[in-house]
Amino acid sequence: MSWVLARVDDRLIHGQVVVAWGRHLRPKRIWVADDAAAANAWERDLLATAAPEVDVRVVTVAEMAAVHAGEAAAPGAAFLIVRNLESARALVEAGAAIAAFNLGGLHYAPGKAKVNEYVYLDDADRAAARALIARGIALDVQDVPQARATPLAALDPASARA
Amino acid sequence: MTSGTPAMLVMHSDLASALLRAAEKVYGPVEGLDVLSNEGLSREDLEQAIGRRVADWTNGGLVLTDFWGGSCHICGVAAARGHGDVVVVTGINLPVLLDYLHNRDAYGPLALAERLIRKGRDSIRLHHGQPA
Repeated sequence: MSWVLARVDDRLIHGQVVVAWGRHLRPKRIWVADDAAAANAWERDLLATAAPEVDVRVVTVAEMAAVHAGEAAAPGAAFLIVRNLESARALVEAGAAIAAFNLGGLHYAPGKAKVNEYVYLDDADRAAARALIARGIALDVQDVPQARATPLAALDPASARA
Repeated sequence: MTSGTPAMLVMHSDLASALLRAAEKVYGPVEGLDVLSNEGLSREDLEQAIGRRVADWTNGGLVLTDFWGGSCHICGVAAARGHGDVVVVTGINLPVLLDYLHNRDAYGPLALAERLIRKGRDSIRLHHGQPA
């Protein structure tokens, strides 16, 4: 069973992940692929406490790429979370076979333009999005399971333009 | 500005401001209680927004949040890191907030947090309807 959700979310593990997606898909494991979080023991512990009934594993993007295929065959459902589109691209380019990413939260920062209430992008984000789309990977904007999933290209055509 | 244990409400959407408005209907005007929504904020920005307020608490205080594992809780814990006298409490409801307001001058942060946890648990009760 394993992978049931690959999500891009700058909050990493938080309420929408644990309560909404967690209740919907019942993951046994949540993998956070983030170099900064993986390098910080305190941060790893904090993320683990956020989802107390789930096995939380915080690894680097390179480590995630190395174990992604093996995890796909593991029993039980698993979530994959990366912080931004650049990490998503790096993970795929390092060999992780991912068909689609859920874009669940890329919040405002200076220089980023609004796509919807919870997705803001800059040129670097769009370049990463284009690289993923060019590989045939779907990018669907959807914060919670009850919301409609919308292709990023429909909301932000510049993300798909070659 | 009260001289008691300071606190801030950090919650999803409009819950913190709505909870404060409801508390004021019961308690009366409230001073010295910050409210903050996580709406539209990245984790970094929410953590910094909480951290700016926590930094002003010379003798500690309480970060009162809605639910365990949410961004308000996670960012509260991250902002409180390095401030041993700042306590993050989750599961805040109206009875807990009222108890905080009534007791913030009588307790330090940790003792008050422990009191609020007991109050929150005691406030959730069941009352069966009577058969006709």
